[in-house]
Amino acid sequence: MIHPPPFSPTFLVPFLFLSTLIGGTTFFWTSQAQAIPAFSRKYQVTCTVCHTRVPRLNRTGERFLENGYQLPGTEDGGSTSKRKLGDVTLDEVTHYLGVRLRGTPLRTFHSDTHHAGNSKNQTEFTFPEIFSLFAAGTATNNVGFFVELESNMEESATAVERGFVTFNNLGKHDLAHLRVGRFDPSAFSSYATLRQHFEVIPEDTVDNGSFLPPTINRISLTPAAFSAKFSGLYDRRGNAILPTATSLFHAASEIGIDLHGRPFGNWFFYQVGVLNGANEPFGDSNKAKDWYVHTRIDLAQSNYFSANISGFGYFGRHNAKVQNMTDVNWNRYGLSANFRYHMIDLYGAFAIDRITNLPDALKASFDRTATGLTVEANVLATDRFLIGLRYDHLDAGGDRTLRTSHSLIALMAKFYWRSNIAFFLRDDVNLRDAQGGRNPERNFRNAFVIGADLAF
Amino acid sequence: MRLSLEPIWPFNRPPRNPGALAVALSLTLTAFPAFSADVSPIERTPSAQTGKALYEQACAFCHGIGGQGDGPDAFYLGPYSAPRPRDLTSGEYKFRSTPSGSLPTDDDLLRTLTVGIPGYMPSFQSLSDMDRRHLVAYLKTLSPAFQEGKAQSLPLPPGPIPATPESIQQGRALYVALDCMTCHSEQVNSPEGLLTQGKLKDRRGLTLHPRDLTNLTSYKNGHSPSDIARTILTGLDGSPMASYLEALEPHPEQVWHLVNYILSLSSP
Repeated sequence: MIHPPPFSPTFLVPFLFLSTLIGGTTFFWTSQAQAIPAFSRKYQVTCTVCHTRVPRLNRTGERFLENGYQLPGTEDGGSTSKRKLGDVTLDEVTHYLGVRLRGTPLRTFHSDTHHAGNSKNQTEFTFPEIFSLFAAGTATNNVGFFVELESNMEESATAVERGFVTFNNLGKHDLAHLRVGRFDPSAFSSYATLRQHFEVIPEDTVDNGSFLPPTINRISLTPAAFSAKFSGLYDRRGNAILPTATSLFHAASEIGIDLHGRPFGNWFFYQVGVLNGANEPFGDSNKAKDWYVHTRIDLAQSNYFSANISGFGYFGRHNAKVQNMTDVNWNRYGLSANFRYHMIDLYGAFAIDRITNLPDALKASFDRTATGLTVEANVLATDRFLIGLRYDHLDAGGDRTLRTSHSLIALMAKFYWRSNIAFFLRDDVNLRDAQGGRNPERNFRNAFVIGADLAF
Repeated sequence: MRLSLEPIWPFNRPPRNPGALAVALSLTLTAFPAFSADVSPIERTPSAQTGKALYEQACAFCHGIGGQGDGPDAFYLGPYSAPRPRDLTSGEYKFRSTPSGSLPTDDDLLRTLTVGIPGYMPSFQSLSDMDRRHLVAYLKTLSPAFQEGKAQSLPLPPGPIPATPESIQQGRALYVALDCMTCHSEQVNSPEGLLTQGKLKDRRGLTLHPRDLTNLTSYKNGHSPSDIARTILTGLDGSPMASYLEALEPHPEQVWHLVNYILSLSSP
């Protein structure tokens, strides 16, 4: 039996060639980057005051976010950059509106659909498919807001991805900040779901009806630690929750309320929150709530070094269903960490998902525990050239006839033409052997994409 | 609506009215008088201790907890080229009103905190005036040089003077005579001054890009006539931009002609 090598030269050769080309170009291209996006305009600083490289936040950016879009240590509501109009103080439109366009115009997927040796290549050309309109800033002192309207052309969907209001510095500075609305719970974690250099590449599935497993033609490339991990889980409307979908603490957005702060200084962060947790895009058919607790310890603030470690527990209540339509409780516990030293940014997350309240009839056929590990390293090789490496390991749970574990490694080269305009190449490789049959996690062999990410 | 907190809720049963509990909690927290960053009226003297607490919240991410310019965000601000955040322990400051090689005055430090550095450091006008003075008091504890002496501002020559064509012409002659174009170029988009790009280094040895004088709002030390005159006369210590005080002797008032010419470069 001959298995294709995990590092297919078909993709690695052009990848390495183009990476070298881009890297080499940047050595000779030294003109200064110009920052444009909204907060850069508002505070008249370059993007790298708050980002290591867009979209990842540095410590200043994290504290700006925690503080409700106010500079760390301040509580003025950004009023010094606002304009007085009669009795009303307003931000200039360009100071709170931003747009972002991103996508992967070229994608090539390689899979072994039936068995080793029976491979399939699929190449897609698309236009940049995700357009986001942001409005964010401060209404007044210690009151912030964020709205993100996203149009995903591939999914033919336009929706408010996130929208929340923050009330900051309740009690005393940094004691408590409140977020209310639709937000990303993991925003303050050592490894946040959003702001990834490796964008999530969506799956290709065919829906087979309520409480029936879908046909997965191609898996989504999601960090394993953030993913649902289980096969055979459904939302309360009967739609399948894919094992690679971001979920629970790592959901891209959920409706709820969240309290966070640093009552003892910079080193200790706490966060507690309550969410609808129904795993539904709209509505709250699950009247019970999910809740979570998250703490983070930050260490070191000198020698170009910083480190932090996060621990969280997410407790679901009737937040998913299994095939016989019974409610189950879906919990997640985990750790994440980030070490940053000079040009190296190393971060990762490990999560254990556990299903409780499983009906006795399913206990033999359903694995109630699943784990996911994601580790990523970014190296800023020049002012404009970033190299990324990510490893994912999913030890899947759920329906024993459907679940499949996988281990993926991804390599990325990202070139920042400006600090807010980036182009990237990426290659994802499955380290496990193909198994054939309907086994999309294992039959996926390789993906090569070229993409762009522009923010103004 | 039922709020379920099992299995971790520490009491025997869920709260009877969790919605009210949440509202009460919010009201209790918002009742604290925290929506103001005003300084207490009893604080009249800048306190280095208060400044230290503010520094750790607002400044340490870039300048480092010890002030050496090596905070966790410092590298990413200028990975392989200048600027990096200032090493506040060195006693060497770019933005001063004092002669080259001198310490800045308190007002110099306060000005930088208040207006920021375009492109690289946001204005901290969002802190109260007293908080910024607390910060200045703390910044001065980071370098022993501040204990050894106090600097005096260099008085600017009387001016500015009207930007007449004659004045601009005299300024251009000075610009040429002082060899400013070696770094800054003379004409808009001219490659002349760009020849030095990649060759200029700052004190850390990082590549430094000369200021594009046609982009007025990017001037790091301010772009008012007085700001520009001050920059020319005092220089930017730690960078190749030297003080031109001696070069303009015995007629330092000529600096205003040079200012008028520089401002003319960015005129529409």
